[in-house]
Amino acid sequence: MSCAGSPGPRPANLVSLGAFVLLVAGVALAFPWLATHAVGWQESAERYLQGGLFFVAQVLYQLEGRFEMLADAHVSTEFVRHVAELIDGFATRYLGPLAIGIAAWTPLLLLAPFIAYFMLRDGATFRHFLIRAVPNAFFERTLYLFDQVDRTARLYFQGLLALTLLDALCLAAGLWWLGVSGPLLLGIVTAVLAWIPYVGSVLGCLLVVLVAATDFPDAPQVAYGAIVLFIVVRLLDDFLFMPMTVGRSLKLHPLLTVVMIFVGGAVAGIPGLMLVLPVLGVAMVLGQTIGQVVNDPRLMARHLHARRLRKAAVSRDLY
Amino acid sequence: MFKFFRRQGGHPDTPLGTCRLFAGLSDRDMQIVLGFLHFRTYQAGEVIFDEGEDGQALYILVSGQVNINRQGREDALLARLEPGAFFGEMALLDDAPRAAQARAVSPVEVAVLFRGDFLNLMDDHARIASRISLQLARQLGDRLRRMIAAAGERT
Repeated sequence: MSCAGSPGPRPANLVSLGAFVLLVAGVALAFPWLATHAVGWQESAERYLQGGLFFVAQVLYQLEGRFEMLADAHVSTEFVRHVAELIDGFATRYLGPLAIGIAAWTPLLLLAPFIAYFMLRDGATFRHFLIRAVPNAFFERTLYLFDQVDRTARLYFQGLLALTLLDALCLAAGLWWLGVSGPLLLGIVTAVLAWIPYVGSVLGCLLVVLVAATDFPDAPQVAYGAIVLFIVVRLLDDFLFMPMTVGRSLKLHPLLTVVMIFVGGAVAGIPGLMLVLPVLGVAMVLGQTIGQVVNDPRLMARHLHARRLRKAAVSRDLY
Repeated sequence: MFKFFRRQGGHPDTPLGTCRLFAGLSDRDMQIVLGFLHFRTYQAGEVIFDEGEDGQALYILVSGQVNINRQGREDALLARLEPGAFFGEMALLDDAPRAAQARAVSPVEVAVLFRGDFLNLMDDHARIASRISLQLARQLGDRLRRMIAAAGERT
């Protein structure tokens, strides 16, 4: 939500133009480098994937050696067969829906910069128009409400950035201690992936394990260490960092924050998990302020008095 | 609305232009300040704010007259304000409740500077906000001197 006195047309144009030029320049500069390294990336991705699969198969073999029940179920053989089937049928089974999904979301993603530009340029005007519709008696309280909603949304995103930084630093420090290559990059990527609750965390964990297993094929304890590290950071994130950063920015009790994350996931899946905290913060501010306004008899009396005065003023010469 | 803003902005002969709060601001500065103001109209007799309520905004009188009096005692008049005057300025400084009631004497138009917007002005346009703050401090200083002088006369 934009605040009053937002930049206006000229600064908004300059900011948008600057961002566009930076984007185009970045793509133009990075393209040759990307083109030359793309093949290498593909090879690296395949190497890491093979390393990860080899690690999982190795773990399953070891488990089969220890647990007769798993050996009887041929878990490792089944795993290898399933992975082979998945790889064989990946293109036909998943690429089509993936392409359709990307095609469906692309127009919305393309709209995002336009919406951002117009909100940057005209956000204050929209706010002024909205406020003008509010009766005089409730005007100050409504301004306060807008300000609180604006502040809540801003604090939430600031909290989210702080959370990402904390996650990235903890993961990077742990991975560096384990000796995994590129700890800072892995930490940042994994922390950003965690913006998508649950699914992002699983993807992040997989990424870390793939790299650890490929870097140390003969030392599976490094990959185990990476998994433990990831679980510890996730627990810290859910029960300490998130209530401290995002929860505190929204002035929510840590217990309520944790409970609401589970409720959001149960009600609306991944979008629910991502949106539950900002929506809850805004809803709490709205409920609190609207409750104060509606339950304030003095404000209602002033509003009714003002309506009578206005009616008298406009109908003075009618009778 | 933009036409209205342009018409008002920085003209020395308009109430906003003559308002002491904006003394020393250029036309360009005034255009920026106008982006932060809300304009409201009140009928004669309408309460603008009550004594004791949480103040969130400063009001600048654009047209009409406003009485500042004790709540429920319209005879206890503290001040009658004319266009160009501003009131409720303590709300920009802290969360203290309003010290008196403001009521329109005639049909009134006011420009309103909300505290959150003033804080945003401080962040985004520190020079303009510092000038407004200086004028606020001068107004409060004047009031304090008058109160001390009045107390001296009583004793």
